[in-house]
Amino acid sequence: MEALYSVPFAVLELPNLRLKKPSWVTTPSPMVMFSLILVSYFLITGGIIYDVINEPPSIGSTTDESGHSRPVAFMPYRINGQYIMEGLASSFLFTMGGLGFVILDQTNKPNTPKLNRILLLFMGFLFVLVSFFMCRVFMRMKLPGYMQG
Amino acid sequence: MAASTKTDIRSALTNHGGWTSLLTFCILTLAWVAGFSSRLFAVIRFESIIHEFDPWFNYRATHHMVTNGFYNFLNWFDERAWYPLGRIVGGTVYPGLMVTSGGIHWLLHTLNIPVHIRDVCVFLAPLFSGLTAIATYLFTKELWNGGAGLLAACFIAIVPGYISRSVAGSYDNEGIAIFALMFTYYLWLKSVKTGSVFWSVCTSLSYFYMVSAWGGYVFIINLIPLHVFVLLLMGRFSQRVYVAYSVFYIVGLILSMQIPFVGFQPIRTSEHMAAAGVFALINAYGAVQYIQTFLSKKEFKTFFFVAIVSSAGLVFVSVVGLTYLGYIAPWSGRFYSLWDTGYAKIHIPIIASVSEHQPTPWFSFFFDLHLLICTFPAGLWFCIKNVTDERVFIALYAVSATYFAGVMVRLMLTLTPCVCVLSAVAFNVTFEKYLKVEEDETKKVEEDEDAEDSDEPEKNDKKKSLYDKAGKIKKFKQEVPKESEDLGLNIRSLVMVCLMMMLMMFAVHCTWVTSNAYSSPSIVLASYAQDGSRNIIDDFREAYYWLRQNTADDATVMSWWDYGYQIAGMANRTTLVDNNTWNNSHIALVGKAMSSNETAAYSIMQSLGVDYVLVIFGGVIGFSGDDINKFLWMVRIAEGEHPAEIKESDYFTQQGEFRVDAAASPIFMKSLMYKMCYYRFGELQLDYRSPAGYDRTRNVEIGDKNVKLSVLEEAYTTQHWLVRIYKVKDLNNKVKVTEPHIVSKKRKSRYISKKTKKIRKGSIKNKPTIIKGRHPSKTRSKSRV
Repeated sequence: MEALYSVPFAVLELPNLRLKKPSWVTTPSPMVMFSLILVSYFLITGGIIYDVINEPPSIGSTTDESGHSRPVAFMPYRINGQYIMEGLASSFLFTMGGLGFVILDQTNKPNTPKLNRILLLFMGFLFVLVSFFMCRVFMRMKLPGYMQG
Repeated sequence: MAASTKTDIRSALTNHGGWTSLLTFCILTLAWVAGFSSRLFAVIRFESIIHEFDPWFNYRATHHMVTNGFYNFLNWFDERAWYPLGRIVGGTVYPGLMVTSGGIHWLLHTLNIPVHIRDVCVFLAPLFSGLTAIATYLFTKELWNGGAGLLAACFIAIVPGYISRSVAGSYDNEGIAIFALMFTYYLWLKSVKTGSVFWSVCTSLSYFYMVSAWGGYVFIINLIPLHVFVLLLMGRFSQRVYVAYSVFYIVGLILSMQIPFVGFQPIRTSEHMAAAGVFALINAYGAVQYIQTFLSKKEFKTFFFVAIVSSAGLVFVSVVGLTYLGYIAPWSGRFYSLWDTGYAKIHIPIIASVSEHQPTPWFSFFFDLHLLICTFPAGLWFCIKNVTDERVFIALYAVSATYFAGVMVRLMLTLTPCVCVLSAVAFNVTFEKYLKVEEDETKKVEEDEDAEDSDEPEKNDKKKSLYDKAGKIKKFKQEVPKESEDLGLNIRSLVMVCLMMMLMMFAVHCTWVTSNAYSSPSIVLASYAQDGSRNIIDDFREAYYWLRQNTADDATVMSWWDYGYQIAGMANRTTLVDNNTWNNSHIALVGKAMSSNETAAYSIMQSLGVDYVLVIFGGVIGFSGDDINKFLWMVRIAEGEHPAEIKESDYFTQQGEFRVDAAASPIFMKSLMYKMCYYRFGELQLDYRSPAGYDRTRNVEIGDKNVKLSVLEEAYTTQHWLVRIYKVKDLNNKVKVTEPHIVSKKRKSRYISKKTKKIRKGSIKNKPTIIKGRHPSKTRSKSRV
């Protein structure tokens, strides 16, 4: 067996290599993982796959009575369609809502000063509320009859 | 004596375990009841009927099984579908659904409760939604704690993403499969935690049920190996994981191969190879660990390196070799379209034509999940922060399901349970933080409150008035532990009240969506007049009953494949193609018949033995899902198989628009579909403001008001013209070719732009062309002159 191993080395000379695992290959920290996931979450909920396949314009436009074309941000009445910007805007809100809850959790760390704590609480709370209510507003734009009856 | 009873009661009242389990029981029951009742909109508004398309086949198969017995069902060759090919039903269905409802039916009849099998089928999905809630509770309890579990159960009971597939009457595989999915995952977590063979075998059994119920089992058999693999990478591999996975894989593999439709796929297709690879890997890893005990450190290093490289090479080479030799089937088209998202659009029009295979826009996420879509990342954050073996699983589930949901609208269904679980975790953590009571309070209050807030969405769902009461009670309780808190009580209660408000809005949204979007049977249409009175349009059943009563028993009906199952189920007549789209060329043949002119279509229909042709026409009532709007898909599918005879561009106008008025392309106006839809329509004036032959769906006056049919004759048209049935005339002595089928001979340019006419199909009609330096309205007036 030993002889078999040494056959190639009769011809070849061993180079003096020192292979090392590069220092940047480490187990990623939870924070890194989470931010990666959050970014992909942002993209997917914004319908990026839809954008890639169907190639909608970034913002729509209509022509009003006098012949001027006006930009339209939301594709109304179409549940299965979107413009690129509206998708990104709403997925931004989704992500913001999620971050709001994370911040709400962070407020309860024992060693935060009081002012910071109140600021954090305020921020987190604002994030959650703003995202939630803006989503509802978007939904109204998209589906004007929403929650009307 | 009285005193002793008093103490008994007190001890019973202060018994924490008892209270917790009582509350859990009550909340789960309420979740079940709420989930069940919110799925009944369709039954209450219309009647207890089967919805949509696929459920009709499932119902027909169940009916067949109940009347003829299980073994006859497995051997059933259906000669009434895919005429003249037929369909081996027993070998091409997932029988879990039929067996489940058949079993319930049998049980009820043994108890002398005479229920029609149709009612069992209609109410099966709502019934299983309660079981799903319980499975989700168990799953979340393994993952986090009981409080989060109860929240998750309440969420999943009413979340629209799941309701969309499980309203009463939508008798489809997904209805029971989500229960099986969650239950399998729960058992898997349990077996990873305990490492016992018992739980792994239970996992495999539950997996078996899942395999028998839905093709989505592939998700399980890829996610669980992925979990094991990631645990291995993270250095969390242990004896428990080894036992759990090897038992699950072996038993699950053998069990899954017992389903006739699955057969040898688990060892022969690429979708299942990841599971086999991980199985080989953990065994190799285990062997290496074992050998490690005999070797010195240095020897082991060499050995390890050699072993890893050679085994990885061996596995890779063998998989590639077997695929190349044809032992392992490569990925099927549906799975390709999950990775290469443009694949279906280019290669398989029949997959791309189904609306539920479209990629998901943002609106669907919010519409189906509402508040939960915002809290989902937070829950994921909590799970990643305090990671355990189980939480790795939910993180992987979340990531993969989010991706798949982005690719296909229908896979939103697999994302929904995961979102519910993680949102419940997020809410649970937040509630615990903000409802925390100081140490001087007894533990009991804490538990009480914990349970109470889990109860919240439940109550919201039922009565909004209850919600306020609960909020007030909470405030009152908060009064006690005031002083030592850094944050004021007011802020805390403000946060709580707002969160509660949001949960309430979630419940309201869910009910609204269920009632407005997901509860129409699509067989019976309802329209509402100005004064709110309802007008029922029952044309589909009218037409199907006409077919049932007035045609010969062996008559063959040609229609587009969407209506195949309904014709088979309600009219009991032979169909050419149906929703089980297994034979693309057969569908293309029907598409070709619909899109060619009468002479060409007649020869196809003669060769297929067609007696009647059925089209759906929505022009009278403005129904947008009719055959003219689907027509381009027929052309595309036909073009895929017969590119020499059918060209999609022939059916557009010069400007690349698809229209039906006088400017329509002549080839389209001569096609069978156009003629059948607009036959005699030119005589019909719907109201005084519009001209005769005015199509309300497309809002135009039709181009050809004098349609003449030579090889077909009108057999029946329903009240609102929604369904039109034509009889194919018998063969004449000699058919004169009046309109030779002309195909335009456009030479294709070598450069293929991405913005071809096909892609630009959605262009706006009469769009003003803008000429620089000229006012648009002026240009128009000039051209008119």
